[in-house]
Amino acid sequence: MYEPKIIAFFCNWCTYTAADLAGVSRMKYAPNVRIVRVMCSGRVDPELVIKAFDLGADGVLIGGCHPGDCHYQNGNHKTLRRSVLLKKLLPQLGIEPERLRLEWISASEGEKVSRVCNEFTEEIRKLGPLKREVKNAG
Amino acid sequence: MGEELRIGVYICYCGFNIASKVRVEEVAEFASQLPGVVVSKAYKYMCSDPGQEMIKQDIKEHRLNRVVVASCSPLLHEHTFRKAVKDGGLNPFLFHMVNIRENVSWVTEDEDLATEKAKALVAGGVYRVSGQKPLQVRKAEVRPEVLIIGGGIAGITAALNIANSGKKVYLVEREPSVGGMMAKFDKTFPTLDCASCILTPKMSAVASHPNIELLTYSEVKSVDGYIGNFDVKILKKARRIIETKCTGCGECAVVCPVEFPSEFDEFLGKRRATYRPFAQAVPNIYVIEKIGSSPCTFTCPAGIQAHGYVALAGARKFEEAFELIMEATPLVATLGRACYAPCEEECTCNELEGTVLIRRIKRFIADYYYAKHPKPPYGPAERKSNKRVAVVGSGPAGLTAAYHLAKKGYGVTIFEAEPQPGGMLRIGIPEYRLPKDVLDRDIANVTSLGVDIKTNHRVESLKRLKQQGYDAIFVAVGACEPKWMGIEGENLEGVVGCIDFLRDVNLGRKTNLRGKKVLVIGGGNAAIDPARVALRLGAEKVILMYRRSRAEMPAFPEEIEAAEKEGVEFQFLAVPRRFTGRDGRVTRAECIRMRLGEPDDTGRRKPIPIQGSEFTVEVDLVIEAIGLRPSTHPFAEELALNKNGTIQVHPETLQTSLPFVFAGGDAVSGPSIIVEAIGHARRAAHYIDLYLQGKDISVPNFEELLPMVDKQEVLKRRPYPMAYSKPKHEISLEERRTTFKEVELPLTEEEVVAEAKRCLNCAVCSDCHQCIKVCPADAIDYSQKDQEVEVKVGTIIVATGFKTFNPERIPQYGYRRYPNVYTAVEGERLVNSSGPTGGEVILRDGRKPKSIGIVHCVGSRDRRFNEYCSRVCCMYSLKLAHLLKERTGAEVYNFYIDIRTPGKGYEEFYHRLMEEGVHFIRGRVAEITDWAVKPEEEGKLVIRVEDTLAGVIRRIPVDMVVLSVGLEPQRDAEQIRRMLNLSCSTEGFFLERHPKLAPVSTFTDGIFIAGACQGPKDIPDTVAQAGAAAAEAMALADKGFVELEPNTAYIQEELCSGCHICIGLCPYSAISYNPEKKVAEVNEVLCKGCGTCVAACPSGAAEQRLFETAQILMELEGGLHV
Repeated sequence: MYEPKIIAFFCNWCTYTAADLAGVSRMKYAPNVRIVRVMCSGRVDPELVIKAFDLGADGVLIGGCHPGDCHYQNGNHKTLRRSVLLKKLLPQLGIEPERLRLEWISASEGEKVSRVCNEFTEEIRKLGPLKREVKNAG
Repeated sequence: MGEELRIGVYICYCGFNIASKVRVEEVAEFASQLPGVVVSKAYKYMCSDPGQEMIKQDIKEHRLNRVVVASCSPLLHEHTFRKAVKDGGLNPFLFHMVNIRENVSWVTEDEDLATEKAKALVAGGVYRVSGQKPLQVRKAEVRPEVLIIGGGIAGITAALNIANSGKKVYLVEREPSVGGMMAKFDKTFPTLDCASCILTPKMSAVASHPNIELLTYSEVKSVDGYIGNFDVKILKKARRIIETKCTGCGECAVVCPVEFPSEFDEFLGKRRATYRPFAQAVPNIYVIEKIGSSPCTFTCPAGIQAHGYVALAGARKFEEAFELIMEATPLVATLGRACYAPCEEECTCNELEGTVLIRRIKRFIADYYYAKHPKPPYGPAERKSNKRVAVVGSGPAGLTAAYHLAKKGYGVTIFEAEPQPGGMLRIGIPEYRLPKDVLDRDIANVTSLGVDIKTNHRVESLKRLKQQGYDAIFVAVGACEPKWMGIEGENLEGVVGCIDFLRDVNLGRKTNLRGKKVLVIGGGNAAIDPARVALRLGAEKVILMYRRSRAEMPAFPEEIEAAEKEGVEFQFLAVPRRFTGRDGRVTRAECIRMRLGEPDDTGRRKPIPIQGSEFTVEVDLVIEAIGLRPSTHPFAEELALNKNGTIQVHPETLQTSLPFVFAGGDAVSGPSIIVEAIGHARRAAHYIDLYLQGKDISVPNFEELLPMVDKQEVLKRRPYPMAYSKPKHEISLEERRTTFKEVELPLTEEEVVAEAKRCLNCAVCSDCHQCIKVCPADAIDYSQKDQEVEVKVGTIIVATGFKTFNPERIPQYGYRRYPNVYTAVEGERLVNSSGPTGGEVILRDGRKPKSIGIVHCVGSRDRRFNEYCSRVCCMYSLKLAHLLKERTGAEVYNFYIDIRTPGKGYEEFYHRLMEEGVHFIRGRVAEITDWAVKPEEEGKLVIRVEDTLAGVIRRIPVDMVVLSVGLEPQRDAEQIRRMLNLSCSTEGFFLERHPKLAPVSTFTDGIFIAGACQGPKDIPDTVAQAGAAAAEAMALADKGFVELEPNTAYIQEELCSGCHICIGLCPYSAISYNPEKKVAEVNEVLCKGCGTCVAACPSGAAEQRLFETAQILMELEGGLHV
């Protein structure tokens, strides 16, 4: 079976903590998701997302605090705005916008981490491997 | 990086935690092949001393310049390994931690996949660490002051510990007293020592400690800043009592007429609006609870304290009530009869069984007072000023203004054109609504102050009046000029204006209408009065003709109804076109019928004549009551008037175009209601006073009301209407038709009290002013406002406690349906010797229980509500079982699922209870019902339960049920969480940084948690945690500084284009523009390290230390490479 590779940028305060909770609670989820910790989802540069696809990711998940909960006041709002633009940009690079997903997951929502990771993995599995002309050419 | 990379990789087994899913040796082997790796090992416990030692050794031995540890979450052990790396002689930031436990072994089923994932993550870590740079930690100063939120036993303990170490503590408690939940308890388990005895000394110590600043009745509004330097804003709610003056004598509460269910007594007892929650309250300072303005008071245009006098009437303080009304107006009895009572329309009870009869309460108050004092019990007011004021007009506005100005010490003269004073009250309101002797008595309230009323004295010129020696003039001439329809025949004898007709009757020039036919034209209240008067004068027939339909009539429905009952005939949708007569006297009115067309500007449907529908009415008298105009024409030369004849005034001060002239009442507003005029008069008197003192009147400073309360919130106090029938006392219809006797009879004293007791006390404090009068310390200050206090602290301890589960969520347990079902906290108050029953267990129905059932796990260990165990309920249930048995001798049954008594002396206590003969039945209670199926169940509450030990269904009849409710997060825990940037666990309790290793720390540095806000716990555990939190805070304060993650942003000047984008995005305003260099600059002190600027920088000039784009990309490359 095709196993997609998924990069998950999780913010330190909410979603990364939630992932820890999922672990402590021994909630199983798809091993395809590789978590990269950032301090705030607002740190997730569009460049990082595009590079992740370029480097071999089939999907990118961004996890941040719920609106109003951001440890840095409103970094997650900026992420939201950026992700909307980014989703419009991705098709121009030949990437289906569904390969990028933004989720608000608070520190207490370990279960949501597990659910979202599973769902997203399945969605990406259905989309199949990302066709990387640039990379193949290079 | 010029130097050669020498990376050490360490894979942790974490016992079986990692090794059972991840083949750690294989991962280590894999890592050893990665670029730059010179050492790669797997080890049982990397975090152990030997593990750390291994890293230190390897750094030296293998000259490592980078280290990767793959083990648990960096949130747990990053600090540990950084320290090891540092001790090994390497910069601690040349280290990266990979999480293969929480992110891999614990969440992955398959061993192969887990191992693969671990390899990928380790590769990511190795790649990433290659790009990491040495960094220096930042140091931030830690202020020694500590903020503690919550004054329960946790907050108290922490505060004392810290204060004893010599540091300043701000202890903020939102209730008026510290003590929290523990103060409600009678005894504490398992030792049964008295809760107050151990708590109150600590409470007093908090209040008297020189290092503790106690802020009760206060709430933390916002917290900004960072560990070491938090800026805290605290809202000190208005106590309406000056804290430094109050001695706690309680005289104010004795006289307070507002009774309110006591929150502290779980609503089983009463407190006053002026109160302290309990006798040992700390600080021993009362508080006057006021949550806004009551709708009645807020609405009253006259500014009368409606709620206040209703509350006083409820306490049978009728004289005090009278005096309170007199603070606003001397026309007490008049208003009690003739006011249209806008207050009653706003009364919150309208949403329930109907308005409190506020006006009729006022009438009773006036009648009661006048019966006792046929003459005012005071003499002329003291003259405090030699200035004189003339008041033109003796209606409600004139009288009220004169009254206030006289009380302020001015010489006041009223000029009245009519032969008797009272204005519209005298000439316009018929005797059957307002007896003239009643009005005379009200006017005596004014004249007794020394106000001179010159009747039959029409003022023609204000300037001349001024020349006569009056320093200011208040014009309140009213609106008594009739409007005419302007049709043919109006000049005939027998066609009169309503006010002329009423004036004649009211001034005793009675007209005999026996056998006459009277036609009244108009649809307002002014039309109803002459119609009803005409009936009483013996008219054979009275027709009230109105051009629209009944629905559009502006008259009040009760007035229309009364007129109809008395026999007034209504002709709607008709209008006279001309009057004709014989010998100059009117005999016929030629009329036409109307129909309603489209709505006009006023929103009412416009009447349109129906052609061919003409008809005639035989009449002897026509009274036109289509409206009144202000009687201001004599002043048209001197004052600026509006088009409709009203006087132009400043909306706030009521000053006219002549500075020494103020005006109010109908002359300003056009025809309106009495209370409106009184409101004008009070306001004008206030500003006339300031004007005469030569003070600035351009800044409004007349009384300011708090906003009206939210009625929906008030209704929560009594959501259901009570059984009630409106008392309606009127004289017989026969008497009404033939005499001018007052139609409405007074309420009895008992009815007045019953009415007043229905009052919901919307705003809580009624503004009755009684406490002001009795306070010996002069400590009452109604004008006190909420205050914001700002403090700076270095650390914060959150000790906000818990709330109990609301058992109404389990309807089958009958809480609030059956009065004898109690929550455990209510039970605590019942057995408490200082509780509402003095420690005697008396049920809501007055009985003493002979059998009691205690139901455990209510709302706990129940997937429908809270899955968790609330930890304290078993023990407090046992304690209550003991106390209830001791106090009542009743048979006590405990219904439990499991008895959990893990604690010092707890199990022994359980045994003691069993020996005392308390019954234990194992099983979750299915239902509590009053449905008796056996004779012995009659009148009892039956507990239905499956006894899982005996294997039978049982029905246990008892007199009293206590529900052992579980513990839940405070209702506003979510707001606190957001304010302090904490995290919550699934059930909503604040999340500790680590359940074992950092149980009182949070994910926000410098903020600690203690007590039940972190999760259900008993007093010993709470106190222990508070001590721990105090120690954490003190450690930081003593050290004086913290090391902060060096993850701040910086700008690479050579790349920066000076576009300003980052500046606007930074939530901490840490970035500024350097105009000389034309680049952005980061202020490291302000930067909190979120990295938003980095993500936004279009030229890649912004970077974040420790999270540099290149480093993250390398981590991606490594992770995706595998």
